[in-house]
Amino acid sequence: MHLNWRLQRLLHQFRHALITPSRNPRSAVVLGRLLGAAFLICFATGLYSHLLQDPPAWMSFPTRPLWLYQVTQGAHITAGIACFPLLFAKLYAVFPELFQRPLVRSFGHLVERATIALFVASALVQITIGLLNTYQFYSLFPFSFRHVHYALSFVVFGSLAIHIAVKLPVIARYWRRRDSYDSEGRVVALEPDPDAEFDAPDELRRRTGLRQNAGVTGRIFEWIDRKPAPEPPDRRAAVSRRGFFAATAVATAAVVTLTAGQSFGILDRLNLFAPRKNGTGPQSLPVNRTAKAAGVLESATSADWRLTVIHGDDSRVLSYDELSALPQYDSLLPIACVEGWSQYANWRGPRLRDVVALVGATSESGVRISSLQQHSIYAVTEMQPDFVNDELTLVALRLEGEVLDLDHGYPARIIAPARPGVLQTKWLSKLEVI
Amino acid sequence: MSSPTTTSEAVVIWRGVLIGGGVLLLLIGGATFLTDVPAMRYPAIAAWLAGAIVLHDGIGAMLVFAVTVLLRRLEPRIPFVVIAIVQAAAVVAVIVTVIVLPEIVKKAIGTANPTILPLDYLGHLAWFYVAIAGVTAVSVVIALALVRRGGPASRRTR
Repeated sequence: MHLNWRLQRLLHQFRHALITPSRNPRSAVVLGRLLGAAFLICFATGLYSHLLQDPPAWMSFPTRPLWLYQVTQGAHITAGIACFPLLFAKLYAVFPELFQRPLVRSFGHLVERATIALFVASALVQITIGLLNTYQFYSLFPFSFRHVHYALSFVVFGSLAIHIAVKLPVIARYWRRRDSYDSEGRVVALEPDPDAEFDAPDELRRRTGLRQNAGVTGRIFEWIDRKPAPEPPDRRAAVSRRGFFAATAVATAAVVTLTAGQSFGILDRLNLFAPRKNGTGPQSLPVNRTAKAAGVLESATSADWRLTVIHGDDSRVLSYDELSALPQYDSLLPIACVEGWSQYANWRGPRLRDVVALVGATSESGVRISSLQQHSIYAVTEMQPDFVNDELTLVALRLEGEVLDLDHGYPARIIAPARPGVLQTKWLSKLEVI
Repeated sequence: MSSPTTTSEAVVIWRGVLIGGGVLLLLIGGATFLTDVPAMRYPAIAAWLAGAIVLHDGIGAMLVFAVTVLLRRLEPRIPFVVIAIVQAAAVVAVIVTVIVLPEIVKKAIGTANPTILPLDYLGHLAWFYVAIAGVTAVSVVIALALVRRGGPASRRTR
């Protein structure tokens, strides 16, 4: 029944019908550059965040600028959101490639197509689960977001690197605008497009005599072809192409400016769609995990609450009043969440380094920090010496001049510069010098 | 201007570096899946990956294809530039909706505390549509004025 040749014809008909001024290699290169930059920002900042949360023993991290994590994680989330319009536009520009014919030319071609399929699938999943995670829409994930997002980042970037390698000659060829268009605004093609003409003679016609408009699908595609997309020098072609880029630019600008206010205070007034809003919550500061959710309502408000500080055999047990009697300092620091939102606040309390010095900690000491909360992977975290010794790192007792709200970690919490919010441990119970 | 058919030495070197780096990253990703993600989760992850392709290439892109073809084919006596502006506005609206819709759903289901999804996303989205409609209308008026005032080249965009 000439199934193979019927398939070849169908692929040709799709490719022909999909011809439009914005679908060309130059568009793919322009969008690919922007998308590549966004993915690079996401990958680098994501890796940084991951390492901060799970640091190898030999690695140290800067404590300045104090807004470092706010900016890296804000950029991570914002660039991730920008990936939606950019990825959709890129996939739109290269959509006819899905209908390549023959479907597979060689083993190398099969590997190339499989890599692209892997890239498209993993990139779409990566940005989707990233977005849904900021909405805390965990019920949609039948897996651990953190582990899958981390593992997929290597898959996305690995398959992207291979894709770029395969397309390198095309990327180089269409890198510059002036090399891409002729004097009439046509994209300079590398080779004649076999799908440019609808009624091109093909193998099926040679074998059976059937023309391109035969059958139901043939008639549909012929109907489409009766009004083809405009081509240069028809000015409508330029309008179509520019409209496509304008739509991509406006969509990207819209999703960025209407969400980035959750990370960058300067855009707060434009924050219409971000999952977090500055100034909301107890003491006008958002909360990720409440005291109730953490199961610390009783233990955190108990009159028996004490902070235990341990260094080997030496230990001290400090009451809230004793912590308040230590020299108190103010730090203006952001809470910067892994989910991208950040907000500055005025914190007050003793310096962490002063508290652990009570049990003989030195400037080389790190600290293992335990919370009253039990069922969380962040119930016990470790802080490296650079952060412990930083003059801005506090055992915070007060927020904006008031006693800490229970949901912000009462009676005492950690606040340090350039650290993810999940490591700013709330409801402290124990500090162990390591 | 480099020729499309010749592959320079630099391209060969960069290709080697990119493919080597890419394979290495894929191996790290694969190893991370093996060590960090329980095997019982693999089918769900595979379903998400396959679902992404089906949803995008099979449904989303095909829908866009059908709409653009229908618009072009059934294009009434409307100037081309107007159709282009309306299409661009629709694209912006759809992309913003794709990002905001899950927020509206999640907010309706309920969140762990009131500071998560605290805004009126449905209301904001409605205002956003109004703003898009307004900007689109103004753009159309300006574009039509320019087309009418323009010469033969502008008239061809009608």
